Amino acid sequence: MRKTFIAENPSVLWFLAALGLFTLVVTVLSEWVGTGLIPTSFVKTLGKTLCLCLIAIAMDVVWGYCGILSLGHFAFFGIGGYAIGMWLMYARTESIVLESFGSQVIPPTQQEISDAIGNQIFGVVGSSEFPAIWAFADNLYLQLLMIVLVPGLLALVFGWLAFRSRVTGVYLSILTQAMTLALSLYLFQNDSGLRGNNGLSGLQNIPGFETAPQSAVSLVFFWASAFALAAGYVFFAWAVSGKMGSVIKGIRDNEARVRFLGYRVESYKLFIFTVTAVVSGIAGALYYPQAGIINPGEIAPIASIYLAVWVAIGGRGRLYGAVIGAAFVSLLSSWFTGGGAPAINLGFYTIQWTDWWLVLLGLSFVAVTLFFPKGIGGLFDYLVRKP
Amino acid sequence: MAQSLKFTSYVTAAVLASTGLAAAECADPVKVGVLHSLSGTMAISETTLKDTMLMLIEKQNAAGGVLGCEIEAVVVDPASDWPLFAEKARELLTVHEVDVIFGNWTSVSRKSVLPVIEELNGLLFYPVQYEGEESSRNVFYTGAAPNQQAIPAVDYFLEELGVEKFALLGTDYVYPRTTNNILEQYLQDNGIASDDIFVNYTPFGHSDWATIVADVVALGEDGKQVGVISTINGDANIGFYKELAAAGVSADDIPVVAFSVGEEELSGLDTSNLVGHLAAWNYFQSAETEANAEFIEAWKEFAGADRVTNDPMEAHYIGFNMWVNAATAAGTTDVDAVRSAMYGQEFPNLTGGTAVMLPNHHLAKPVLIGEITAEGQFDIISKTGEVPGDAWTDFLPASKVLTSDWKELGCGMYNTETKTCVQLTSNY
Amino acid sequence: MRRFLLVTAFICGALPQVQAGELQDILQIHAEEVAKPSRRSVGALLDDLVTSGLPQVPVFLEEWSAKNVWQSPDGQFVFAVPDGDTLEIRDVDTGDIAAVPKDGYDQIRPNGGVRRTIGTALVQFQLSDPDPVRRQSALEAISRRPEAAQLAPLQASVGTETDPALRAQKEQLVVFMSARFADTSRDRIAAINSLAEDTSVEARGVLNSILSTEEGVASELPDANIARVIDPAGAPDAFYEKLVEEGLAPPVVTEAAIRSALEQNVSGGAVGGVPTARLNTTDARHKAYEQLAADGLVPPLITVADRDAALAAHVFFEVYDEKDPAVTAAAADALATVTQRVSWEQAADLGLDALSLASIYFLAAIGLAITFGVMGVINMAHGEFIMMGAYTGYVVQLFVPDYTLSIIIALPLAFAVTFGAGVTMERLVIRHLYHRPLETLLATFGISIALQQLAKNIFGTQARPLTSPGWLDGAWIISDVIQISYIRIAIFVLALMFLALILFILKRTRLGLEVRAVTQNPGMAASMGINPDRINMLTFGLGSGIAGIAGVAIGLYAKVTSEMGADYIVQSFMTVVVGGVGNVWGTLAGASMIGFLQKGIEWLNPSNTLAAQTYMILFIILFIQFRPRGIVALKGRAAAD
Repeated sequence: MRKTFIAENPSVLWFLAALGLFTLVVTVLSEWVGTGLIPTSFVKTLGKTLCLCLIAIAMDVVWGYCGILSLGHFAFFGIGGYAIGMWLMYARTESIVLESFGSQVIPPTQQEISDAIGNQIFGVVGSSEFPAIWAFADNLYLQLLMIVLVPGLLALVFGWLAFRSRVTGVYLSILTQAMTLALSLYLFQNDSGLRGNNGLSGLQNIPGFETAPQSAVSLVFFWASAFALAAGYVFFAWAVSGKMGSVIKGIRDNEARVRFLGYRVESYKLFIFTVTAVVSGIAGALYYPQAGIINPGEIAPIASIYLAVWVAIGGRGRLYGAVIGAAFVSLLSSWFTGGGAPAINLGFYTIQWTDWWLVLLGLSFVAVTLFFPKGIGGLFDYLVRKP
Repeated sequence: MAQSLKFTSYVTAAVLASTGLAAAECADPVKVGVLHSLSGTMAISETTLKDTMLMLIEKQNAAGGVLGCEIEAVVVDPASDWPLFAEKARELLTVHEVDVIFGNWTSVSRKSVLPVIEELNGLLFYPVQYEGEESSRNVFYTGAAPNQQAIPAVDYFLEELGVEKFALLGTDYVYPRTTNNILEQYLQDNGIASDDIFVNYTPFGHSDWATIVADVVALGEDGKQVGVISTINGDANIGFYKELAAAGVSADDIPVVAFSVGEEELSGLDTSNLVGHLAAWNYFQSAETEANAEFIEAWKEFAGADRVTNDPMEAHYIGFNMWVNAATAAGTTDVDAVRSAMYGQEFPNLTGGTAVMLPNHHLAKPVLIGEITAEGQFDIISKTGEVPGDAWTDFLPASKVLTSDWKELGCGMYNTETKTCVQLTSNY
Repeated sequence: MRRFLLVTAFICGALPQVQAGELQDILQIHAEEVAKPSRRSVGALLDDLVTSGLPQVPVFLEEWSAKNVWQSPDGQFVFAVPDGDTLEIRDVDTGDIAAVPKDGYDQIRPNGGVRRTIGTALVQFQLSDPDPVRRQSALEAISRRPEAAQLAPLQASVGTETDPALRAQKEQLVVFMSARFADTSRDRIAAINSLAEDTSVEARGVLNSILSTEEGVASELPDANIARVIDPAGAPDAFYEKLVEEGLAPPVVTEAAIRSALEQNVSGGAVGGVPTARLNTTDARHKAYEQLAADGLVPPLITVADRDAALAAHVFFEVYDEKDPAVTAAAADALATVTQRVSWEQAADLGLDALSLASIYFLAAIGLAITFGVMGVINMAHGEFIMMGAYTGYVVQLFVPDYTLSIIIALPLAFAVTFGAGVTMERLVIRHLYHRPLETLLATFGISIALQQLAKNIFGTQARPLTSPGWLDGAWIISDVIQISYIRIAIFVLALMFLALILFILKRTRLGLEVRAVTQNPGMAASMGINPDRINMLTFGLGSGIAGIAGVAIGLYAKVTSEMGADYIVQSFMTVVVGGVGNVWGTLAGASMIGFLQKGIEWLNPSNTLAAQTYMILFIILFIQFRPRGIVALKGRAAAD
């Protein structure tokens, strides 16, 4: 079975090899174990990019393979980030609080410890009591479970409601967008108990490894992201090959016909929607400790739309296309907005890329949709077929 | 218009960079990081501060730089993206190896940067009024803490305007939330019943104000004088003031004091209907002193004749000059040396009097209250003496017991009851 | 009263001779107070000025209040008007005019509180002033800060009032003031009873101030005008706290106090017989503390039984500040009636706000409904067309300073600009994507990003002013509770006009007939000689053009920024989807439902507008589950995806 799977999908091997090589090069050039040619801040950027590639694959499966244009997968990404962020904040604050109590004659009660932690975490945003959703924040394992469970359950319930009432096409896209908007508006409220607009911060400090330098933390997370991407790639490549792959591609091309053939279209769609949501959650949980802060702005509907843009530019319906799109566009984007691109002087006007990059992105996106529906990944077909 | 302005500032940045290289006899050039968003939602406010920094550095270089070296400005763009602030701060400190950073506007961007600055022992000057409840070893807060803006404004409402009933309107984020919590407690301590305090939070960019304005007007139904304390942020103010004007609410009926509306914000509004409403800051462009006239003139020459000056610009002006003086006093730009030299640094305010850097990393500054004029400026009608900034407010039970003193106690979060330092890093 | 007579005396003709320096002398006595007046201390100065009886005083007070008084370098006070670097000064007594350099002169700026106090002092001079503007300002000053002493002069001035509007105002004010200050209870009750119909904020203010109460606690109910007796069982701890404040009970020992007491009494690693290491639970700490209390080292704990006993031994009550129970009873009755009316009016006001919000949503969404409904095309750049319209309005105002004219030009121009943009977009992009609806969504999204950034590059990120003409300022005031700004009424009318216009186009014109034909069956329509390509183009242009007009309207009441479109796009889609695609009535129903729902949720939770938006979106998501095709479902091309 495995043999045939690899044989049928040579691209998987190529991808794993490329990813492995990339990881090795970054490791050798990193500050912690290698020559230090790549600064820690760039290792973090690369690690984050790998997480974005992972969610892009998930997006590709749900859209490029199954035909559901979800504008809500970044919400699941954010939920994953919030889930791990809660533990990171809680545990870090707990160790600070315990240390400050350590010097006192009378040992603190459980209530005093929890009050002090609450005050530290929420004092910043003007309250001090633990909201109910923080009930499991003290337990790493439960919180890790949340990374998978919460996006999975949300996707399951939402998907069940939506697919059951046969909401499809653009309606579904708008509905997923509304879901994202509702979630980000909810999180923007201070009353939501997740620190409102401030979000969760200081996530790069890993409790238990306070003494580890950020150069080490960043590299470890880079490895973890690379591993997750590899695992995700293999899993989805397996999922979209074989019989199930054929069914979901059939749903994309003609839903009614697949239904007439006796397949339970809704169940397939729900499965794909939920599984990709879970993977998005995992990607988010790896991303935000590298970013250091998560706040509701991250989940705004625009982020999910960018995700679709990456996948479309990279090339839909092929997993490596999604990876290329996410890596290429997000890195290019930070190069342009970071002032990396030289300004073009037209004599009467100077084009500053920080101002004009979004115009370029928007228009190139229109061009890709109109003229290159296969995206960058389409170039590979061209290369492969030519000889 | 905006484009040509931006263009000139970029050119200046380039000129500065090249003169910086020319000062080759300085083995280790002095680098100043500027961490303000030049794109995205915050660009409008922060670009002004970036230009202010470039102007101040240019002026300082013309006067011989610092420690005999030219100052080189390293400008990066965190693009109003909070995680990017942390990334860019790390880049400034590790790749560009800057000696000091001037930057940030929003609280969330500051919280994003804090862990990086503290880990790498950098130095940040933060120029905007904020909610307090923080004192980092590596940050100097040159904007107002709540007791330097909100509390005096409320005192003014209570004492001078005789306001008996308060509407606290704010945008839903940390600054209004914390400030309003402090004010609620403060008002209750001053004998205002909790029933006489109406609190409302609206989202960023809110535009549908009719119902809220009606609610505020209805507060006057028990014959008490109503006043509005506004921590409404940014664009939302436009709709709010338009609705106030439409409802015929004059400053004599229901005065509004705003903490986030300055000269810049008023330029997007027709102020003829808002005359007499108030704002509280540490600086107004209309302050009549020689230093201010000079500063405004330099600014208009640098950035354009139609530009206005505002409070955070003065904060950068004071902060930068204090840093130059501290580095000169310390004889080095080493962070720890400069930090100890900062305590007790004095520099004249643009509004008169002298700002002093306190051991809690906040400034002692005067508080001004201005009435909006028809020209979009402020008539200064009240000015206090220097008010020392308080990192931990005295009006919330949890922070009443905390104090910050980096000079004597070496701690930014010291519990005076248990006599222990709660933590050396800050709470982010 | 004495003061008033004095004043009327000299207003009525017996003007004393003006002497140089008289007023200046008084001002100099209080120089510091004049230069830096404060609401609390300015009274003494005003009393002195008024009792001096000088005729210059009212003029001085008015000028002082208008920030026209300056202090010269040698401390003299003058009236002055700045003119560049010079100052045109006028003597406060003699009125002699001179021009001096501005240096050294300080403008005196009394703050709002002082100005109000000055206004009160001016009342007596102004009530019978020949200038109606001054009489008006006197009435405003009284109604802001009514004082018992003003009632008599006010009553006296009613008879001589010639202006009917002012006379009505004076009469009303007399009622308000008699309710509070009349000499006999009978007069007061009569005035109070006449207020039972009045829902104005002032009337309610009068009633509420008569009914103001003070909380009290005593061992027995005192003999006073008691408003009500409070049962402390609802919040026993808070009421016990009150007893402590009054010194009627010993304070509660808090957990923190227990902790510090224990800390102070540690000896030999234990306290009260309990080892310190075991003091990490509340129970253990209480036990140790009780031991200390038993040893007499600390005050005893207040148990629940102690607390309840203390509460039972006292009575908590609210007592009216007004002594006469008949007056308070009448006021309470009147207030109950008024409150009932006010709550009805509040509901009506909320309804008006909801209607206004619905009309805004309708305007923003109707263009989208046309393109989406007729062509099945999702236009994510719709919000940016709204923005384009708003910026068109802004640019027009740059060139046409007259606000009325500029709006009249801006509305059709905005339509033309966005119509052109819509047609261009349809020709260049959307035409090629008719069979790929998901890709239209993405392509138009790309356009939306580009347009938004383009607007930022051109106009900057700062909000731009779009000022409504003067005749749209202000509000239509039905009562103090029900009011709505004219600009919102104008938007409502605009929305109605567009509803009528679109219905007319669709139902009564050749174009409309063709549009409906293409909507229902494009193939059949084409074979009947209709050119669907042309229809699509025109429909798209029409939808975009309406968005442009909506942009002008939205910019007038809120703000013009590059991101304003993004604020409305999701709401607009919701409106269209909830209402049902491809039907004007559906969009109307959707907009009404969303507008009323949002206001309803806001009313339930007035302190958090953000929550209202969240819950509304959740509701819409659920609603679509049950009516996936919206309120008004349609058959045809749009219905078949």
